[in-house]
Amino acid sequence: MKIGRVSFLTVILSALVVSAAYFSEGYLGIFIFSLIINGIMAVSFDIPGRSLGLISLGHATFFGMGAYCFGISISQGFTFYPALILSALVSAAGALVITLLLAGLNHGYYSLATLGILIIFQRISQTLESFTGGSAGLYIPETLSNLHCNLLAACLLLATAGCHVLYSRSRWGFYSKETEASEEAAEAIGIPTRKVKTLCLMMSAIPASMAGLLYLARTSYVSPASGFSLTLSITALLASRIVPARGILGPLTGVLLITVAEEVIWTKFEGFNHALFGLILLGAAWYQGLESLEAGFNFIKKGFRARVYFSSDFEKNKESEIRRR
Amino acid sequence: MIQVLISGLFLGGVYALLAVGLSLAFGIMGVLNLAHGSLAVLGAILYKKSLVLYPFSPWLFSVLAAPIFMCLGLILHLTIVAPFRNLSASASVVASLIASLGVALILEDLFVWWQGWEPISTYFSFPIFNFLGLKIPGLRAVLLGTAAVAIGLSTLFLKKTDRGRSMRALAQDKETASLYGIHPGMTSMSALGLAAIMAGLAGIFYSALYPLGPRDGLDLTLKALFIVVAGGMGNLRGPAVAGLFLGLIESFAGFFFTYTSTDTVVYSLLVIYLVIKRGRRHQ
Repeated sequence: MKIGRVSFLTVILSALVVSAAYFSEGYLGIFIFSLIINGIMAVSFDIPGRSLGLISLGHATFFGMGAYCFGISISQGFTFYPALILSALVSAAGALVITLLLAGLNHGYYSLATLGILIIFQRISQTLESFTGGSAGLYIPETLSNLHCNLLAACLLLATAGCHVLYSRSRWGFYSKETEASEEAAEAIGIPTRKVKTLCLMMSAIPASMAGLLYLARTSYVSPASGFSLTLSITALLASRIVPARGILGPLTGVLLITVAEEVIWTKFEGFNHALFGLILLGAAWYQGLESLEAGFNFIKKGFRARVYFSSDFEKNKESEIRRR
Repeated sequence: MIQVLISGLFLGGVYALLAVGLSLAFGIMGVLNLAHGSLAVLGAILYKKSLVLYPFSPWLFSVLAAPIFMCLGLILHLTIVAPFRNLSASASVVASLIASLGVALILEDLFVWWQGWEPISTYFSFPIFNFLGLKIPGLRAVLLGTAAVAIGLSTLFLKKTDRGRSMRALAQDKETASLYGIHPGMTSMSALGLAAIMAGLAGIFYSALYPLGPRDGLDLTLKALFIVVAGGMGNLRGPAVAGLFLGLIESFAGFFFTYTSTDTVVYSLLVIYLVIKRGRRHQ
C-alpha cells in the first residue's frame, strides 16, 4: 500500500471515529451513524466480493438476522451486554449454516441463492408475528446511549477494515484469489477451497450481523423491510464498486459518496430514489465496461508495437546475415 | 384438491412463458437479466393503458405489442450486454447483473410514477366450463393454451429458422459459432428481443389473471430465474416444465399452509434445489 493511500485511509477512519464521538445527537449524529453502518456493510461485502468474486445480493440477511436476534433477546428480558453476546453467537451460528450451504455455489448462482435467502428471511420475519412483530416490526426500549452506539459502531468499522486488510494480505487471502481464478487449479495445488470460501464468507457475515445489532440498539425499531432490505445490499454493492480503488479505500470512499448521495436523493428526489440508485449502478457497470475497452485498446497498441519491434528486429537480423555471408 | 391442481397449472403456464424468455437470454448470452420481470410489468401497464383507448383482447394486444417489446429488447441489449463484451466471462456476468439491476430499479420508479401504487389488473369476465364435474375458468384455460402456443412457436423458431439455429449454436460454443460466420452481437440482440416479447406476453396474461404491483418486477424475475436454473439453461422445454411445477407448488403451498407462507415454501425449495443441483461438484 502506498504512503499516500495509507494516509488518506487513516484520515477517513480517524475522521469517522472522532465525528462519531463528537456528533452523537441530532441529525448529524444519525447521519454519522448511518455512514458508519453503511461502511461496515460495504467493507464486509467487499471481503468475498474482491477476493472470491462473489456478489451477495442478500448481504442484508446477516444484518437483519443480527438485528432480530438482538431485538428478540432484549424483549425476552436480557440486558444489553448478555443480549449482545447471545445474539452475536446465534447470528454467527446462523451465518455459518448459510455459508456452509452456499459455499459450493459460484458467481451468478451464488448471487441468486443469496437473494432467495434474503426473501425467505423477510417472509419468515413477517410470518412469525409473536416473536418478530410481523410486518409492523419490532420495538425495543433504549438499551444504550447514542454516544455509546456510535462509538461501538466506529470500533466495529475499524475492526472490519482491519480484518479486510489482514485477510487480503494473509495466506488465506492469496488462497482466495487463487480459488477465484480457478477452483480446480487451486484444489490441484492443495488449497482447501471449501474452507477458504467458508472463512471468507464468515468474515463478511459476522460484521454485517453486528452492524444490524447496533442499528437496532440505536434506532430501537426494526421491520422486515428495513432489516432484510434489498436496498441495503444494493448500497453495499454500489459502495464497494463505485470507486475503482484497490483495498478498503474503494468501499470506504464509495460509502462516503453513496451515503451523501442517499441523503440528497431521499430529501430532494422523493419517489425517485430507486431510479437514481439504478442510474448510479448502471453508470458503475458501464464504467467497468469502458475500462475494459481501454484495456483492450492498450493491448492492441502494445501488440502493434511488439509486432513493429519484432519485424524491425527481423529486418536487422536479415541484413546482418546477408552482410556476414 | 383437483381444483387446486388446475389452478396451479394455469399459474404455472404464465411462469413458464416468463421463464422461457429468460432462459433464452441466460443460455445464449450468459446474462442474468434482472430487468426481465420489469418488462412483464411494463406489458401489463401498457395493456391496461391501451384498454382506455380500445377494448383489446389480451391475444390481439399481444400481437400488437410484440414489435414494441422487440425494440425494447434491442435497447436492453445495448444497455446491459453490449458494453461488457470485452470483459472476461465471469466479469461480464457480474457487470451485466449489476447493469440489469440498475435498469430494473429505474423501471420500478418509473412505473410507480406513471401508474401509481395501485395494482394492475386487467381481469375481464369469461365463461366457466364444466368438465367432468370440475369448474374450469375459461379465461385461464385459454391463456394457458396461448402460453403453450407461444412457447411452441418459439421452439419452432429456434429449431427451424436460420436465426434460431444461430442462437442455439451460439449457446453451445461462441467461438466455433463465430468461425462459421454467425455474428454474436446480432444473434444475441435478437435473442434478447425474443426474450423481451415473451416477458411482455407473460405480463399481459398475468395481469388478466392476478393483480400485479408496479414493484413486482424483481420478484417475478427471481422466480423466473429459479425456474430457469431448475429447468436448465438454453433450452425451452426444461423451463416450461419447471414453470408448471412452480405454479403447482405455489398453489399447493397456499392450500396447505397460509397464503403468506407460500413465498417462504417456494423460495426454500428453490434454494435447496439450487444448492443441490448447482453446487460446484454437480456442475
